[in-house]
Amino acid sequence: MELVIYGIINSVSLILMSIGFALAYGVSRVPNFAHGALFILTGYITWIFLYQAGLPYALAVILSLIIIALIGAALYQLILIRVRGMPISEIIASFGVGLAILELLRWAGLRGMTYMLPPFMKESLNIAGVPVSYHRVIIVGAAMIMLFFLWYFTHYTKPGLALRAIAQNERAALVLGIDSDRAATVAVSLGAVLAGLAGVLLLPLGNIVVEMGYEVLVFAIAVSVCGGLGSWKGAVVASFLIGFAQIITVTYLASHYHFVVALLIIIIVLITKPSGLYGRQKELEERV
Amino acid sequence: MSSPDNGFLLEIKNLIVFYENAIAINNVSLNFREGQITGVFGANSAGKSSLMHTVSGIILDMKEKEKRKGGERITWYGEIKYRGEDILNLKPSERAKKGIVLCPERRQLFSESSALENLKIGGYLADKTQGKKTLDYVFSLFPELQKLKYREAGFLSGGEQQMLAIGRALMAQPKLLLLDEPLLGLAPSVESRLAQAIKQIRNETKITIALSEQYARPLFPVIDYGYVLENGGIVLEGSSRELMDNPDVIGAYFGM
Repeated sequence: MELVIYGIINSVSLILMSIGFALAYGVSRVPNFAHGALFILTGYITWIFLYQAGLPYALAVILSLIIIALIGAALYQLILIRVRGMPISEIIASFGVGLAILELLRWAGLRGMTYMLPPFMKESLNIAGVPVSYHRVIIVGAAMIMLFFLWYFTHYTKPGLALRAIAQNERAALVLGIDSDRAATVAVSLGAVLAGLAGVLLLPLGNIVVEMGYEVLVFAIAVSVCGGLGSWKGAVVASFLIGFAQIITVTYLASHYHFVVALLIIIIVLITKPSGLYGRQKELEERV
Repeated sequence: MSSPDNGFLLEIKNLIVFYENAIAINNVSLNFREGQITGVFGANSAGKSSLMHTVSGIILDMKEKEKRKGGERITWYGEIKYRGEDILNLKPSERAKKGIVLCPERRQLFSESSALENLKIGGYLADKTQGKKTLDYVFSLFPELQKLKYREAGFLSGGEQQMLAIGRALMAQPKLLLLDEPLLGLAPSVESRLAQAIKQIRNETKITIALSEQYARPLFPVIDYGYVLENGGIVLEGSSRELMDNPDVIGAYFGM
């Protein structure tokens, strides 16, 4: 039972970590390798607002999410826009930005165990005999709400539909009046907010450390590759696959294997189904 | 702004387009009269698609992408006037806002979205009432689409896809609708069905239509005025009747 509950929580955490990355790639084909850095940066900004500026927790979170949205938009407008359409350059540029952010934070003193965010609620409850902190329940709830919001946004609102149009066929979207650069800015910015949201939700479970940034990036890539790049359904299914595989190895082997498992699953999926679980590259060729 | 007194919604004057050193469009001048169907015909590589790309603005996007890659240099000279205003350097999305909407060659549908969603995305520039009205109009024009609403666009047949592509372009509230090879790869019965639909659009709406096609036979009776392109230049022009009576056209397009 413990396995099931913590498996679900771990899987949902993976969804949170990876959905922003999957979204930015899915809708604008921008691989945002600064994803992990944005995750940590949001946590750090929240920490500053909370402890240096003394703001209330909720306000600190909202403000740092707004800031990270602006940083995401700037990342696209100032840097990625220049290398648009060249995947390798996009990866190198965004990874470079991510490295710079993380190492600057390390240089600025983000080291050791001193930086922590408090959990939203300290109490815990029992689910079928397993103690689960309220904070983890909030994580699962928030992830559900977020997935619903994203699904609604991309299926029933004009900006959301425009994003999906650009993702599927850029030129066709252009001639319908959709501006591709604006759509991509929105996508990267939204991806940054999702990374930040994940950071704010997940970081209270541990410390804010720079290494976590790299770890989140690897998990986000693992989930996206495994699920099929750009596919959300894939990202969710892959999160559960990897999430449970991790919890099982942690329970029966040793806790440091959870990183290896993620990478092992990438290799297995790429050998057996190179486009990922739900990857549809080249599957829906037009009929002429 | 209204169109200038001569009744031309779009005027192309001395347009020249180069891909690196290859000339794609060689000093052509074409006029598109408001409320009419104007056809541009020609073989592969005659310059039809380049012309459509230049009018819709896609060429700016192509130029930008090539430049980022360090690929071909795309250059153009001349004038394209839409309602008397030079639009040659406007982005495609800005041109769409002014009413120039392209229905691209090979349809270019959003193949993972349902047919209805394709139409909804097409209505990006429309407000709620316009969108609803146009959606009803598209379904009355192509009743076939009504029952295929929820099917993924990629799984529709070629003819249905073309109807959807035209419908999607109509949703964007065009004043000038550009149809790039609307009959490409379709069965003869579907060809005449679409030719009729294009005529119906002209008769029932105020939309001006510019279409390009390689295989012109089903479309000659539908157009009001036509141009024949060859190697990037205009070799012939005239009304539908004049073109159909021209011995060269008969030889080239009607195989007699």
